[in-house]
Amino acid sequence: MKKLLFIFVSVIVMSSWVVVSPDQSEEANAKIKTIYIYNFTKYIEWPSSYKEGNFVVGVLGTNPALFSELNKMAISKMVGTQKFEIKLVSTPADCSKCHIVYILSDNSSQLNDVLGKLKGKSALIVTDKSGLATKGSGINFFVDGNKQKIELNRSNIEKYKLKVASTLVDMAVQVK
Amino acid sequence: MLKILRTIIFGLLLFRAVSLNAQQSRVDAAYTFLQKGDLDSAKANIDLAILHPETQLDGQTWYVRGFVFKTIYNQNEKSNKESVSRLEALISFKKSISIDTSYENILENIKNVKYLATTLYNDAAASLDTIDYKIAIKNFDIFRAYYLLVDPSTDNFKQKEIDFSNAIATVYTQIYEGDRQGKADFLNLAKASYNKALTFDPNNINANYNMGILYYNQAVNLIRQSDYDLDIVALNDVQDNSINLFKASLPFMEKAYSLDPNKRETLLGLSGIYFSLNEKEKSNEFKQKLEQIEK
Repeated sequence: MKKLLFIFVSVIVMSSWVVVSPDQSEEANAKIKTIYIYNFTKYIEWPSSYKEGNFVVGVLGTNPALFSELNKMAISKMVGTQKFEIKLVSTPADCSKCHIVYILSDNSSQLNDVLGKLKGKSALIVTDKSGLATKGSGINFFVDGNKQKIELNRSNIEKYKLKVASTLVDMAVQVK
Repeated sequence: MLKILRTIIFGLLLFRAVSLNAQQSRVDAAYTFLQKGDLDSAKANIDLAILHPETQLDGQTWYVRGFVFKTIYNQNEKSNKESVSRLEALISFKKSISIDTSYENILENIKNVKYLATTLYNDAAASLDTIDYKIAIKNFDIFRAYYLLVDPSTDNFKQKEIDFSNAIATVYTQIYEGDRQGKADFLNLAKASYNKALTFDPNNINANYNMGILYYNQAVNLIRQSDYDLDIVALNDVQDNSINLFKASLPFMEKAYSLDPNKRETLLGLSGIYFSLNEKEKSNEFKQKLEQIEK
């Protein structure tokens, strides 16, 4: 009788390690923030002079996953009749033509410069570091119980001649 | 080995020659046809012998039947992973063991059962894909039944259960990943299979890691498949559900890490889980460990 060997182990070694992609968690986080940003365009109204041309979202800082996700959103969504335009902004001076300026956490120190450049304009300033909603930003992302949430400073939004719906105010943590 | 078996069979048949009767001659004829390579006639004779009261309770009748069907399997059905003759052979050898408990008879039958059980095991392994996985499960179940018959020591079998549970879980995961909406049940099957492996060995690194990844990917996919139109209340629900899944993933990945702190995949997994739980410091800690081992 011919002796047979168990060949199983080699098959298992080949088949059983599923590898996680390191980008997945960053992409998921970027998706959450992009959904928030798209929501901001639904609950905030810009002056009529800002309702022509593209709706420009400027990102100050480097986050490839977020930039990519915003661009994916820009392909399928619009703000009224305006197409989205996602811009990488390298200096605060480049923010002046944006409808939304998103200052990433690593670039938080540039908030004051951005505020200076946006005087007299109508832009929503979004930040990503604890406490910045009290220092000039309109909406700030923060983490509470592992969850990504937003805090909203209504007066910081309205000083740029933007109207914010009470629905959005109610869904955010309000900061004065 | 074949020669020894033939000698044994020949000896037994010779012994029986003194008490030959009509039914016994069926068994003899089956053996003679087997030797001549006429498997159809061997099968016809031995199948009649097992129906008759004079021979159906004789261990040797069933042993010869097992041998006939084993030969049919080896000659005609080796490439058939669902060979009926192999099963008939196993049933016959098992029956022979239950009737004739003499040392020699048990020894010979066990050798044949082990041989055929091993072919089932290997066919189960060869069927571990998204098409033939049901054959793999069936063959492994039969293998288990016969292997435990001849080697009841559960310790010897434990590793095989773990290996098979992990492997079939991987197949279930592949099916699920191919169609997450339509094949959602396979995600639960994969989890159940990894859980089974962990029941046998809570320190199995493979099962721990993959279980962690299942929950992790489920959480990530929940977020990634969300529409941009989702309102903030619904987005909060998605976040709550994904956080629960990330938290479910964590103990498995932590366990895998404790078992092998230098495994690249585990460090990546932990970094990803903590990032998703918005615990950036811990995420960076594992990212740095990964960078260190990759230097």
